[in-house]
Amino acid sequence: MRYNILFGGPAGTGPNILTHILGEALVEQGYYVFYSRDYQSLIRGGHNFNVLTFSEHPVSSNDSEIDILVCLDKNTESLHKEKLKEKAITLKDNNSNMYFAGRVFKLLSMDFSLLDKQLKKLEKRYDENIKESKKGYDEETNKICEIKPQKIKSYFMNGNQGISQGAIKSGLDIYYAYPMTPATSVLSELAEKQIENNYLVLELENEISVINAAIGSSMTGAKSMVGTSGGGFDLMTESLSLTGIAEIPLVLYLAQRPGPGTGVATYTGQGDLNMARHAGHGEFQRTLFAPGDPKEAQELTSQAFYFSQKYKIPSIILSDKHLGESLYTLIDSPKIIESKKTNSLTRYNSYEKDSEASATEDPEIIKKNIEARKQKQQQIIQDSKNFEQYKIYGIPSSKNVIVSYGSPKGAILDAIMDLDIKFIQVLHLEPFPEIKNEIQNKNVILVENNATGMFADLIAEKTGIFIDEKNKILRYDGRPFLADELKREFQERIK
Amino acid sequence: MKPEECPKCKSAKIELENSEKIIWTFRECGFKGKEVGENKRTTNISTKTKPTWCPGCFNFQILAGVKKVIEEQIEKGIPKDDFAIVSGIGCHAKIFDYLNLNGLNSLHGRVLPTCLGLKVGNPDLNVFGFSGDGDAYAEGMEHTIHAARFNSNYKYFVNNNQVFALTVGQPTPTTEQGFKDKTTPLGVKVQPLNPIALMLAAGATFVARVYADVKQVEEITKEAMNHKGFAFIEIIQPCIIFHPDKGYKEKTYNLQETKHDKTNFEQAWKKAQEFNYNTLTDKTKIPLGIFYQTQKQIFEDQLPQLQELKKKNISWKDIKR
Repeated sequence: MRYNILFGGPAGTGPNILTHILGEALVEQGYYVFYSRDYQSLIRGGHNFNVLTFSEHPVSSNDSEIDILVCLDKNTESLHKEKLKEKAITLKDNNSNMYFAGRVFKLLSMDFSLLDKQLKKLEKRYDENIKESKKGYDEETNKICEIKPQKIKSYFMNGNQGISQGAIKSGLDIYYAYPMTPATSVLSELAEKQIENNYLVLELENEISVINAAIGSSMTGAKSMVGTSGGGFDLMTESLSLTGIAEIPLVLYLAQRPGPGTGVATYTGQGDLNMARHAGHGEFQRTLFAPGDPKEAQELTSQAFYFSQKYKIPSIILSDKHLGESLYTLIDSPKIIESKKTNSLTRYNSYEKDSEASATEDPEIIKKNIEARKQKQQQIIQDSKNFEQYKIYGIPSSKNVIVSYGSPKGAILDAIMDLDIKFIQVLHLEPFPEIKNEIQNKNVILVENNATGMFADLIAEKTGIFIDEKNKILRYDGRPFLADELKREFQERIK
Repeated sequence: MKPEECPKCKSAKIELENSEKIIWTFRECGFKGKEVGENKRTTNISTKTKPTWCPGCFNFQILAGVKKVIEEQIEKGIPKDDFAIVSGIGCHAKIFDYLNLNGLNSLHGRVLPTCLGLKVGNPDLNVFGFSGDGDAYAEGMEHTIHAARFNSNYKYFVNNNQVFALTVGQPTPTTEQGFKDKTTPLGVKVQPLNPIALMLAAGATFVARVYADVKQVEEITKEAMNHKGFAFIEIIQPCIIFHPDKGYKEKTYNLQETKHDKTNFEQAWKKAQEFNYNTLTDKTKIPLGIFYQTQKQIFEDQLPQLQELKKKNISWKDIKR
């Protein structure tokens, strides 16, 4: 059983609340739920939609075909009717999200008390919401499946909440940011919880100010973090390089969206891998981690703090809009690695510095400084091996090997279920793990959310193995991979 | 010299722990009931680095003035580690190399956010930011305006020599019209910025200007240290190579020797217009001293998390989570 429900309507009509309460209710019943958000860069009007996929088995992506279409306006039906399955049900001719909540709960044979519970949690407009949803619940006469409580205890979280939770659990002291989609919800999530968890969140005039203030705070010993998307990261780049030479610990969260320029501001993509790897002038050390779900987001955020504090380097966490803003059902609690605060206020310099940290042009000292920093790189590489740098899913002995990183993981996992495929998900992009033996002499297939296949280039650089152009599954329309479509792509390529 | 009282808590209970190394410890300090801790009274805060400013550079005057005030504070017993300095990029920034204090010689234009980060990281630090006119008014202009808005409790010195000196003499946003150099052979076409007016408009709580003279720098530094909040101090600093004093010094006068009311914004605004940083005329007068001083809430005082730290007399670093 795997159902896809699409909730669509203009911004401001509440498709998000509608999707979320159904998701929460299904998760509480022990079902696996995944939903993604497709919204435009506008505040009222336009067309936004969410696709919610649920099953009694793990789900971490949507499909292209829809079982239930919920239309908060007429536009929704005309835009999505071609995606409907043969026996699909379309709910329309009303503009109340709560009315549709009632109908959908009834369609899934969920008791009204489950909806009532969610509405109580919402608090706002409870009386009106109950009235509207009861009307919908009573009017609905169809049934597409029967939700029964499952014995699974899980939690519901998006990638940005994972980043935020990871930061809190890692002992974050100060988070600085300037709003930019799709990193903004980390800023608001962390801001909301700052008093109860006793850390500080500050929004400054731009990303340049953000990273330099974080550098100032980190100099005093505070665990400091910044978050942004591609354009903001560009602005931070010069100071990223400063953290390299001055050896100041800093965690940076980079949530990708399609660029270049303003690109497609509220959609998804993986076009910033090369920037994350190479940003900043000069030669300096960094770590780069790429979670594929909110649990990994928590774990890798804690690793970013660990490496940045221990080696006094910048650590970047690379995510994207699809991971950051989609809701996942998670079972296991994350493995958080502790990190000590290693910094204390001393003399730092953006120049190469001498023994009293004043600027120097002495060739011997310059060489010594650079070699000391380079030496650190070897220690980082060794230390990284203590961590799970990549994961293997599917059939380990298969000759068909998918390689990917980040948010495509969800659709890949859902697509490979009954195929003869091994999937390698790389978590550590810098230092890069030794995966050559895993992919050598195999039918290697790449899945990447960009146009040029940067991850394939990275693999070629690190392993000498070049992925066949025909085996590069690339999507670059701002949309995430869908499980059913991806499965067909795999079937065409497996040997 | 043995300090008579703890400069923080005014407690007189001081023990001399090691007479050879002259380490003072303030016992039972009334300051939040905690020891101030050992104070390495190496009042000399010079580094071994030999200054590379041009002989006769006015930066020596600024260095001497600031250094004297900080050394006096350390002599009075404020631990050296309670000070932090941040400099930008340019001739001014070398001050970092000649003051043996914690801090960062940062990037061009990024002094102010770094200072803010230091204060948020540890509100008890005495933070001094040093910039040139390139840092403050060109590369980092946005930070200058916002620093005035934020009113964080640190002190900001802008050495304005009206020229990019370390890159051999290009015009900055405060260079007078008509100024020519290799990059601007047709002469500067745009009018210079008036930083005093800018800081007043942006809401700065302490706006001052001095000439690059050791005594003036020393006095204004003391005044700035006594100010609760962000202090903006512009130093008119001739560059002896690329922008020598074209008669500025004779035209200066001290506002505090006139009837100027530094608490009156309208008066400050009028005084700010007297010198427009452009070509001098016979009538030009250059007011120096404190244009404006007022009290506003300090940024970090409004953050409950930092008040919590203050109450417990700890820093972020001490928080184990």
